[in-house]
Amino acid sequence: MKFKKLLALGLALGMMCSLAACGGQESSAPAESETAVENEAAEEAVETKDVTITFATNVVGTKAEALEAACKAFEEETGYTVDFQAPGDSYEELMKTKMSANELPDVFTTHGWSVARYSDYLMPVNDLEFAADIDDQIKSVITDAEGNMFVLPIDIDVAGIVYNVDALETAGVNPDDIKTWADFGAACEKIKAAGITPVHIGGKDTWTIGQFFDWAAPSYYVTDEADNHAAELKAGTFDTETWEEVAGLLDSWVKAGYLNTDVLTSDYNADMEALANGTTAFCFYGNSSVVDAKNVNPDANIGMMPIPAANEADEPSLIAGEDVAVGVWKDSEVKDQAVELLNYLARPEVAKTIAEAAGCKAGLTTVTAEIGEIGTYLEKYADVATFPYFDREYLPSGMWDIMCSTGADILAQKDGAVANAAKVMEQNFNDKFVQ
Amino acid sequence: MLMKNKKAWIWRAPLLLVILLVYCSPFYILLGISFKPVTDLSSHWKFPTLPTLENFRVAIEQGNIFTALKNTTLISVIVVLLIIAVSSLAAYPLARNRSKGNNLIKSFILGIMMVPPLSILVPLYSILVDMGGINEYWGIILILLTYELPQAIFLYTNFIRSIPEALDEAAALDGCGPIRTFFYIVLPQLKSVTASVIILTGIHCWNDYQFSLYVLQSSKMNTITLAISSFFSQTTSNLHAASAAALLAILPVVIVFLFLQKYFIKGMVDSAIK
Amino acid sequence: MKKRARTMNLFYVPALILFAVFVIYPFTKGIFLSFTNWNGYSQSYKMVGINNYIRMLTDQNVHRALLNTIIYGVGSTLLQNVFGLALALLLNQKFRGKSVVRTMVYLPVMIAPLIMGYVMYFFFTYNNGALNDILGVFGLEAIDWLASGTRGTAILTIVNSLQFVGISMVIYLAGLQGIPDMYYEAAAIDGINSVQRFFYITLPLLMPAISSSVTINLIGGLKLFDIISALTGGGPGYDTNSLSTLVHRTYFASENAGYASAIGLISFVLIMVLSNIVLKYLDKKEADLC
Repeated sequence: MKFKKLLALGLALGMMCSLAACGGQESSAPAESETAVENEAAEEAVETKDVTITFATNVVGTKAEALEAACKAFEEETGYTVDFQAPGDSYEELMKTKMSANELPDVFTTHGWSVARYSDYLMPVNDLEFAADIDDQIKSVITDAEGNMFVLPIDIDVAGIVYNVDALETAGVNPDDIKTWADFGAACEKIKAAGITPVHIGGKDTWTIGQFFDWAAPSYYVTDEADNHAAELKAGTFDTETWEEVAGLLDSWVKAGYLNTDVLTSDYNADMEALANGTTAFCFYGNSSVVDAKNVNPDANIGMMPIPAANEADEPSLIAGEDVAVGVWKDSEVKDQAVELLNYLARPEVAKTIAEAAGCKAGLTTVTAEIGEIGTYLEKYADVATFPYFDREYLPSGMWDIMCSTGADILAQKDGAVANAAKVMEQNFNDKFVQ
Repeated sequence: MLMKNKKAWIWRAPLLLVILLVYCSPFYILLGISFKPVTDLSSHWKFPTLPTLENFRVAIEQGNIFTALKNTTLISVIVVLLIIAVSSLAAYPLARNRSKGNNLIKSFILGIMMVPPLSILVPLYSILVDMGGINEYWGIILILLTYELPQAIFLYTNFIRSIPEALDEAAALDGCGPIRTFFYIVLPQLKSVTASVIILTGIHCWNDYQFSLYVLQSSKMNTITLAISSFFSQTTSNLHAASAAALLAILPVVIVFLFLQKYFIKGMVDSAIK
Repeated sequence: MKKRARTMNLFYVPALILFAVFVIYPFTKGIFLSFTNWNGYSQSYKMVGINNYIRMLTDQNVHRALLNTIIYGVGSTLLQNVFGLALALLLNQKFRGKSVVRTMVYLPVMIAPLIMGYVMYFFFTYNNGALNDILGVFGLEAIDWLASGTRGTAILTIVNSLQFVGISMVIYLAGLQGIPDMYYEAAAIDGINSVQRFFYITLPLLMPAISSSVTINLIGGLKLFDIISALTGGGPGYDTNSLSTLVHRTYFASENAGYASAIGLISFVLIMVLSNIVLKYLDKKEADLC
């Protein structure tokens, strides 16, 4: 019996070994010479040139294609391997799990969070060559309190309200007359009378609702010098009444019928369809959306205007934020090579193609991207003051989803949604600010 | 009798028609959208007037659908093989020993079936990171193996219970230890239930999304669900290519199912009724 | 014999090692996290005692998700079993083309719920949605199907049920075919009608099939995730979340990992208790009949 016991144990162990063996076998399979190799090979890597750099990005579509093409060209030039990862939707979640495990991609894009969320994990780029060429418009946005910058901003997302030029013409609205939200409401009324949906929000995706708040909140909180809450927010005080005004604005639009009927169930794609085909007039997205809209309808005539002010005395403004901004993980095992990649991306001819694919202004002064009509709009509004994305700059991390979900309640016209939105925002602001 | 049959047809035929229509419509619509050019915004019910293969080209080139199919197949096959070994072994004592400890193990395994994977996702993820299992086939294989085990163990346990214990006892009297009994007496009888395990586990692995999402992050490691979800992702507006990708992804399963339907259904039934 | 049993217990080892590493350990860690205010990624967090559990008591979103989870679980189970049985009874008759119907109804079971969710989205969109197109043909006004949480929950339950009703159908078909003809013949002699025949013969003899089918459907429904995230993303707002999707959102989007762990644990307990009650009941029923 004893022998058999041993045999059984052996069998069981054998099972486990076969498991392990299988694992081992797999990892040596030719199909994936990627990240696994990276750790072990790190030491030898430098000499053998057998280097794999992981590049993770949130962007998808045209931008991702441009980035991937740049990585491919870089591979050819250097002989390194770039493992390009573009998981789309799940990028933020993946990055959060990666941060929790302190195991990040060697190079990654920061989707607007290079300072607030990722700065602890990123290598400062102040000493790199391109740092001197970073456009002033984005510089302040990507610089932390100590003066460190962490990313290469390939392009800048200078955003206003995008609109369908033909739709506004049909309705007889001149975008340059819209200076305040009251003007905007009047314009919506005209547009609605012309049988066009004034504003399209694809609320199924929830982030699309958050966009409204990022667009509207600055005009109530920070753009007006006379009535400014910026310092207060930074110090950890959230003005609930002002938020009621912001939320109230959205509420008034719902009540007035300025939004699309399927505001709760349509998505970003539907927004782009409506914008491109002129069934809607306004959308609250950055300039990359112009590229997306043109994918649906290449003949679409899309323009961009500054965001109205809340008070008559105040001026309209624009939002400036990171678009494709790339940083290097500070503990990367292939840091030198990763920096090489970063420098490669900063080359004018490379940065230019990516910025053009994104349809945004280049982030380096050495680069001029040809971005068509939207470029002329950007020139037209070059003197308009720009402000950072509201939630990234003035709200603690994690507030975005609260903005989106309380916004959804307003769109659904739940009882007391406006007051509740302000209350929930305040609560979460206070909770998260302490952290 | 004939009269009765005719009567039955009067309500049966329309009913069957409705059922068929309901069940064919998703496939029809998916097919239609896949072949429509991106700029065609006509009703989903209208089949494309000018069918295009462009969406499939995009799906294959950008979505790496073929790599995804290869990865998914590899992962599913290995998990299925391992699960047969591990679960049939564990099922044997579970079916034969009737002790308190065994009951405990049984309810424990049942409990695992009910764990919502998300509630333990991050600790699970950090273990895998420590083991170096992220972006590795073996990482996802071990996880899927673990979470598919309970069901397989139950299938085997129920089946082994239905094999008369007298056979085991006879073997024991002949001097066969449990190990030999298992390999010579029990194992040969497990063919049909093994087919069920293969099918059920195989499908679950093929369709897994929640685990693969976190374990397989490199696009070279994408499985089909990952490839599809990245296509339907928030900022792409190419639903047509996404549909084409979805169609390519479900095609193998549909074909295999149509040919081996008998076994699939038998597998499902065997697993359920014992 | 004792020794034999002990040797046999070694057969558990591979499975138990896997469970220990990939289930028990993370699970324990999850319990620990539920007492913290961790945001899900930073390297530091604070212990907050049972605050997360207290917070759940007043959190409307949790209550809603709890209710929805029960609707998804119980609703799907009911629908799948009623429809499944009906389909099985229909297909248990002899007529041409029945295998086509069986194939079509079972086919969706093979397809990833995530993909099914995406395809269903083409049906339920307001503009250009397949369902609204049908309404349009009849001159009816378009409906924004998923705009209301209540309707959304119902739609998700129905979609999930229709996708997986094939499982119940084949289980019941096999069950029906396993009922010996002599019972029906005897019944015919006693002169009972078809309704009585169904309730006094068919249904009781299907008890094992019912029990398996209910268990499979219940666990599937209570864990519903993929199809929700593909079709509504839990929205509008938080109105169609199940506990699984709520955990996901709380964890990643709202960055309340500690709180999410607590909700995850509670949902585990809920699924466990609910399934056990149902299983016990069905086991007893089955035993009574034997």
